[in-house]
Amino acid sequence: MYRKTAKDYMLDGTIYIVLIAMGLITLLPFVNVFSKSVSEEWAIMSGQVGIFPVGFQLDTMKFVVTSSQFLNSLWISVIITVAGTLGSLLITALTAYPLSKRELPGMGFIIVLFIFTMMFNGGIIPNYLLVRELGLINNLGSLILPALISVFNMLVIKSYFENLPASLEESAKLEGARNLTILFRIILPLSGPVLATIGLFYAVYYWNDYFHPMLYINSTSLKPLQLYLQDIVMNADTSSALDKTADDLMNVPAEGVRSATVIASTIPILLVYPFLQKYFIKGVLIGSVKG
Amino acid sequence: MTKPFKLISTIAMSALLVSVMAACSGNNGTANNESGSTNAPKTGSEATAKPDAPKPALKRLNVWAGEDYNVYPVAKLLEENTGYKMQTDMLPQDKWAEKLNLIMSSGEAYDIVTSYSDMALYSDYAQKGALVDLGPLIEEFGPNIKAALKPESIEALKVNGKLYAIPTTVTYEINSSILIRTDWLEKLDLSMPTTTDELTNVLTQFKEKDPGGNGDRNVPLTIKGDQSIIDNIVGAFGMPNAWNDVDGQLVPRVLDPSYKDYVAYTGSLYKNGLIDREFVANKDATAKEKFASGVAGAIVVHWADIPALSESLAKTKPEATFAFVPPLKGPNGEFGFAANAGFDRLSYIPKSSKHPEEAIKWINASLEPETFKNMAIGVEGTHYKVVDGAYEPIQPIFTDERNLANNFMAGTDETNYPQYWQARVRKNPVMFEAFDFLNNQQPAEAKVTNLLGLAPYMQQYAKNNQQLNTMIGDYTVKLIAGAESIDGLEDFQKKYMAAGGEASSKEVNEWYATLAK
Amino acid sequence: MSKPRGGEGVSLGTGRRRLKLIRGNMDMYMLLIPGLIFLFLFKYAPMYGIIIAFQDFNIFGGISGSEWVGMAQFERLLQSDEFMQVLTNTLLISLYKITILFPIPIVIALMLNEVRRMFFKRTIQTIIYLPHFLSWVIISGLFINILSPSGGIVNEIIRSFGGEPISFFTSNSLFRSLVVFTAGWKEMGWNAIVFIAALAGIEQEQYEAAAIDGAGRIRQMWSISLPGMLPTIVLMFILRIGSLLEAGTEQILTMYNPLVYETGDVIGTFVYRMGLGQQDYSFSTAVGLFNSAVGFLLIIIGNMLSRKFIGRSIW
Repeated sequence: MYRKTAKDYMLDGTIYIVLIAMGLITLLPFVNVFSKSVSEEWAIMSGQVGIFPVGFQLDTMKFVVTSSQFLNSLWISVIITVAGTLGSLLITALTAYPLSKRELPGMGFIIVLFIFTMMFNGGIIPNYLLVRELGLINNLGSLILPALISVFNMLVIKSYFENLPASLEESAKLEGARNLTILFRIILPLSGPVLATIGLFYAVYYWNDYFHPMLYINSTSLKPLQLYLQDIVMNADTSSALDKTADDLMNVPAEGVRSATVIASTIPILLVYPFLQKYFIKGVLIGSVKG
Repeated sequence: MTKPFKLISTIAMSALLVSVMAACSGNNGTANNESGSTNAPKTGSEATAKPDAPKPALKRLNVWAGEDYNVYPVAKLLEENTGYKMQTDMLPQDKWAEKLNLIMSSGEAYDIVTSYSDMALYSDYAQKGALVDLGPLIEEFGPNIKAALKPESIEALKVNGKLYAIPTTVTYEINSSILIRTDWLEKLDLSMPTTTDELTNVLTQFKEKDPGGNGDRNVPLTIKGDQSIIDNIVGAFGMPNAWNDVDGQLVPRVLDPSYKDYVAYTGSLYKNGLIDREFVANKDATAKEKFASGVAGAIVVHWADIPALSESLAKTKPEATFAFVPPLKGPNGEFGFAANAGFDRLSYIPKSSKHPEEAIKWINASLEPETFKNMAIGVEGTHYKVVDGAYEPIQPIFTDERNLANNFMAGTDETNYPQYWQARVRKNPVMFEAFDFLNNQQPAEAKVTNLLGLAPYMQQYAKNNQQLNTMIGDYTVKLIAGAESIDGLEDFQKKYMAAGGEASSKEVNEWYATLAK
Repeated sequence: MSKPRGGEGVSLGTGRRRLKLIRGNMDMYMLLIPGLIFLFLFKYAPMYGIIIAFQDFNIFGGISGSEWVGMAQFERLLQSDEFMQVLTNTLLISLYKITILFPIPIVIALMLNEVRRMFFKRTIQTIIYLPHFLSWVIISGLFINILSPSGGIVNEIIRSFGGEPISFFTSNSLFRSLVVFTAGWKEMGWNAIVFIAALAGIEQEQYEAAAIDGAGRIRQMWSISLPGMLPTIVLMFILRIGSLLEAGTEQILTMYNPLVYETGDVIGTFVYRMGLGQQDYSFSTAVGLFNSAVGFLLIIIGNMLSRKFIGRSIW
């Protein structure tokens, strides 16, 4: 049997230390901000909060998560994510299925049409003008409709369909089943893993999208969580102090509130993260080995 | 690709055309469902259909606030008193002007837009024809508005002779001074400085005797990196404002004959270690933290910063006391603070508004004296009480129900509002004391009005002002910190003139000449 | 890998045969309708909007009511110091991200591959994948918080060593480093996944044979693991180069402020600020078109290289 040499131990030691350091670099910002969110404001101001909370209290957190705007934004984000993910999955799968039948005339060309848009796009301004023309400004549709199909995701599902055993379909066809029936009865039930993964990618996109709501959403009542959050975390430190009047200065959100808002917005992701893990690795792999 | 493909594409395209139409209506359907379930704005269209329908719901765009306007108590009050249902959206806190531009050009039908007072932005909208001319509307529907606004406010906001905005004016004159640790003064048996020489002495003692016991970290006076123009001290050299009258002309500080003296004085403070050695790197928060943790003996701050400072200081140094330094007399006996004039917010009606008349009626109703008073400070006995002729807030209800009241205003009762407004400052006694000292107890001659605050829109000035101020600020920092020599002043002045200073100066003084008449 | 495609015979077939195929599968074509509507409405219609780059676009007049100016916007673009600054920023940030951040996931994968304790391995993976799922707003919030000059933990540590607090988010000399660092923090773990998978595909016998030949583990990493990953590395690298002009628009939008426009403003943020924030639609569309065109070229070139070197095309 192979026996570890001193060199190997050194190597292992180094690897463990580096990996632990990476884990800590990832975790510590959360720990610190979490501690701030449950510490007293004066302790934060005087720079005493590090890894552990100083003057433990939950009032700030309670204030943040019970704020009507926070709850409303959370609800908006949930709506967008659920509606967007379901809509995207459905239309992406529906499009991918015919395109996986390369033997049908025209499919190859349509695939090229899709792929071209991955490489070349109109850009921010034309997209904005289009959404404006469609009357979608300040409408949640503006966040979902233009993002319904991610061409990359569509190609992943397409190649998954292509790799399903052809015999299944053929036997169904012999029994006279129509294509639609085959898709819903045979193909989709077999595609659980890829749909879960792609659904996850869509969900993460919709949940985290900040750029499009920033462009398209005006109403306070329609602001998703990311937009609400940006307002809280971008504070006097970085935004122009010139605009501030005394009344604003008196009402600047305290550091503790900002920390608590960041933490509270992370919690939904943390809650589902363990369940996600099962799928995402698979998804990345499907994406990278296709073609 | 050959024929059959063409066929496919024709089929696809025609299918597309048909379904685009279907889908468009379909899309609208789903979109409406989504927004409908989340109480999206549903103003307007039905109401405009019938012109004499009773009071339509209005839509307003306002500056960012920490709470939802629509559920804030003042919203209910205004709805009852004006008879209009108002739905308010907020601009973001960060980079609000970009979003405002975006909304203004998107044609979103807001009836009233209230933003921070940015004259360049405002006059740009006005000149592009994006705003409704308010003059005739006020004449017809706005008796309260006419009564509330002072003529000089209206004059200052005219663009090409027409009024497009209703201002909320600033409510106090003096922002900041040097805040000093009075317990340090007592400990060293010093009295409050009244001249620049005395200030030098006090700071020297702070440095040498280290009354705070801070050792190496001891800082006599801390300022932030962009604060090279130190309020109060700059007044002692006769330049309290960015532009000051020198022999009948308004002159920016860098061209002011006293500028050299000011720089020589502050430069020597820095050289002798009396101003924070690291001030160049100080952010606002760094400077405050030095004071709040008891390391610095003095700081230059706005009075509104005092509650946060005093709270932290009370925890770290319970024995600490502090007060603002009164206007210091300079070597030539000059003194004074810059006194604010001008506007805090501007409210205007975009051309895309569906109810411009109703919007003016709403503003008019909000400025009805009793409604306005109730909006500003609430109901006597519930939200405030009158003590010695002053409005004292009753807590916590005052903060709970009126803290954001100023954000709801579109125009103020310019005669009474400053008095009402002080109730807000009284929420914090320490802050009020400091505020009162600067704003109420100083003689009129210590308040030098910033004349340009009420000047009408001037194109060159508006365009260059911020950049030129930054230029002066940066240059002054370098002079104070010794990175540049005062010998280069003439070169800098030339650069300043070329960078728009000359054009601004000409424009400002043309206006100033008309004012003097 | 892929199943035999029944349509190979089509090229030999007659038009009638194709017509039959189409007729027999009309339902398949119907299925495409929503996708095609989407494609034309949201992907191709905006391309028509690009023509405003050749106009002096007036939002109230629309495309038909705006004046044609030809290449004027592009001339302005090439003469604009601001644009040159923005282009420089974009390229610098992107190049920093590539040179510094591209190798890290490879190293992580190599290291994780050496770890034999499964629990430790899984824990580390769980932790370092996590930031990928957070939005840029949250991440900026976290870093603004810990790097704050007032009470941020990093500055407290600097101070405890006698240093001066640094205002990271407003410093022109640090902003780019900050952008690169936070991008690394978010994605380094996630980007390692493909490399970890590539490593998993290497046959165990190779290592065993090398061990018998007396190769140490470092030697094995160097001559088995790394070459085994090479095709994946090349592919990922080419993909990365294709997005050279995308320096992280959403990231920078949530992080930057006027004090650091000088070093942090990139093409994406510039287009937003000029085009939508200041209504200079035509100019910023021209900037956007420049961006798309260069990006397109890069991808085409990348794909050619990919085909040549590793025999695989990206799509």
